[in-house]
Amino acid sequence: ASEMSKDLMPGPYPRTPEERAAAAKKYNMRVEDYEPYPDDGFGFGDYPKLPDKSAHERDPWYQWDQPDVRHNWGQPMHWDFDMYIRNRVDTSPTPVPWHTMRKHFLLFLSTMLIMFGLGEIYPSYRPVGPKQYPFNDLYLERGGDPNKEPPVVTHYEI
Amino acid sequence: METTLLLNTSLLLTLAIILTPTLLLPVSKTSSNSPTTITRTVKTAFLISLIPMTLFMLSGTESITSYWEWKFTTNFKIPLSFKMDQYSMMFFPIALFVTWSILQFATWYMASEPHITKFFFYLLTFLIAMLILTIANNMFLLFIGWEGVGMMSFLLIGWWQGRAEANTAALQAVLYNRIGDIGLILSMAWLASTMNTWEMQQAPLPTQTPTLPLLGLILAATGKSAQFGLHPWLPAAMEGPTPVSALLHSSTMVVAGIFLLIRTHPLLANNPTALTLCLCLGALSTLFAATCALTQNDIKKIIAFSTSSQLGLMMVTIGLNLPQLAFLHISTHAFFKAMLFLCSGTIIHSLNGEQDIRKMGGLQKMLPTTTSCLTIGNLALMGTPFLAGFYSKDLIIESLNTSYLNTWALLLTLLATSFTATYSLRMTLLVQTGFPRTPTNSPTNENNPMITNPITRLALGSILAGLLITSYITPTKTPPMTMPTTTKTAAVIATALGIALAMELSTMTHTLTYPKQNPHLNFSSSLGYFNPLMHRPNTTNLLNSGQKIASHLIDLSWYKKMGPEGLTDLQLMAIKTSTTLHTGLIKTYLGSFALSIILILSTQT
Repeated sequence: ASEMSKDLMPGPYPRTPEERAAAAKKYNMRVEDYEPYPDDGFGFGDYPKLPDKSAHERDPWYQWDQPDVRHNWGQPMHWDFDMYIRNRVDTSPTPVPWHTMRKHFLLFLSTMLIMFGLGEIYPSYRPVGPKQYPFNDLYLERGGDPNKEPPVVTHYEI
Repeated sequence: METTLLLNTSLLLTLAIILTPTLLLPVSKTSSNSPTTITRTVKTAFLISLIPMTLFMLSGTESITSYWEWKFTTNFKIPLSFKMDQYSMMFFPIALFVTWSILQFATWYMASEPHITKFFFYLLTFLIAMLILTIANNMFLLFIGWEGVGMMSFLLIGWWQGRAEANTAALQAVLYNRIGDIGLILSMAWLASTMNTWEMQQAPLPTQTPTLPLLGLILAATGKSAQFGLHPWLPAAMEGPTPVSALLHSSTMVVAGIFLLIRTHPLLANNPTALTLCLCLGALSTLFAATCALTQNDIKKIIAFSTSSQLGLMMVTIGLNLPQLAFLHISTHAFFKAMLFLCSGTIIHSLNGEQDIRKMGGLQKMLPTTTSCLTIGNLALMGTPFLAGFYSKDLIIESLNTSYLNTWALLLTLLATSFTATYSLRMTLLVQTGFPRTPTNSPTNENNPMITNPITRLALGSILAGLLITSYITPTKTPPMTMPTTTKTAAVIATALGIALAMELSTMTHTLTYPKQNPHLNFSSSLGYFNPLMHRPNTTNLLNSGQKIASHLIDLSWYKKMGPEGLTDLQLMAIKTSTTLHTGLIKTYLGSFALSIILILSTQT
């Protein structure tokens, strides 16, 4: 038979301290470290609940038995170990705390969006002005009275 | 001889020459393909592709040819058609020239690589896909090229597949590009349902194009061209070998998104919302990337962020409804960016793999040709008058200053221009000047002509390309002619301010003190915290919820709740409610039975 023997496979949730000790021995863990998942019907059995740390947090320079996954033979594997490999989720501590990162990023993003909104309301354009015509704004051509004094028109040079 | 015939023949000849090594693969057993033959193939193709470019420049000949038609359904046909217009005919020689130089450089850079022929094949396949994308006349062929460059990017970034960081970076590139592909497929679907064709020649709608398909196109460009929001893959892609970074992630692949928007610009032109979105997105990308480049210490990352920033500038040009100017910037940018990457590759190899600029210095005396070309590249990037970058960048900034647009976008682009000068000067100062901080026994040399020839060739291109292209191509839109002196010299002033800022900062930090942490430094050097904030929660939640749903919840629901335990719960509920109801008083029940029977019998008789 090539399968594992029955006593090496995961079993039901340990209820007595003897069962806990036997389960910890099975998983190569100390009884103090062994903590099973809570028995809430989700089918974890006596599998240990290891801390949620990814492979990134393990020493890159230590001579692991399997260097690519940073794991030694016989070491208990996390239930979600395929999520915590080096290609996927990284739980290593960030240089800056999470709430600071989130706050600064959202500040940056919101500032940008508000300023873009302001920029839409007050766009930039080359200076424009109404058209300026000679001869007192074409007073006579527009049917102005030739005898009356034309209104004063000031022109500007842009 | 008729010009269109000559044009079509020579362009097809170029494509055929490029395809030859792939066709020889199954035929020859005595592996006659080698890096040298592939380099020579690309050089021949470049020389042949000069013919259609000269024809176009001198006579303005364009053509659209169609070879075979896939009769998909009775009223939707997909022809294999090539569009040889200004954009594709200019892009071919430029891409082939840059690729030739990079391949020549790679014969030296990857000389110790055991699978060097496979590497060159991958680069060649990438080039074929990129050229298909450029010359495509319908969205289907463009999509083939689009996916092709994405695939080759994945294979090339993860070239050293034993390295977990390279695999993660390749995966990141593919996922971010895929998100962009959603947008592309959305707009292709809309195009197929509205215009009943995927050709690019349909007449633009007289009314405003609906915004949704344009959003899809903009999403595709955001993914492929690393605009803000889908940008983290581009700096991560520096895990690949330097020739890959030089070819894919500076000159050719990343411009595919912008090229898509250039090809579909008639659709964009009459939708101001889409144009404003392009403008704002481009302005944000260019500033964000320039800010991140200010505090990076890896030389390849600085150049990667510089690429990202220039791509944002190209997006800004699209937002100004100036596709031809965007294409000009693509062309000039290809030269100096590829050269910057090749120079950085020489520096990295000379220092035996050192990529940190804090451990470089004084290389001007040790690597004179390389560092001089690095300086020329940086000057062209900054838009020094009359080098290649000036012709495109200065025109863009002039058009920005003289248009009716979002003020904040204008300010951000000007700020990014000065930041460009700052980080380029920072890189130059730390790498080339000062005392050497490198170990003393580095194999620093530029003796091999395979190094110096490509770099000097690209340097010549960086100096002349802008002048040549603008002299021979007539602009389709009138450039702004009159503006005040301040506006005219705005780009130069912004660049000068950036240089002044860099000089000031470098004199400030010449004392050997470590920079203390402050929020701005942290923000810039951690790339705006975007990477951890987006990557960690999303992947954790997705994978966790997938695991929970697929194994725990489904097991729980089918094996337990729908089966024994569910029945138990229902029964228990019924039992609990009914237990309180019945009181068990048998004698009372029997008495009521007897009473009711007596009553019935008494009423019967």
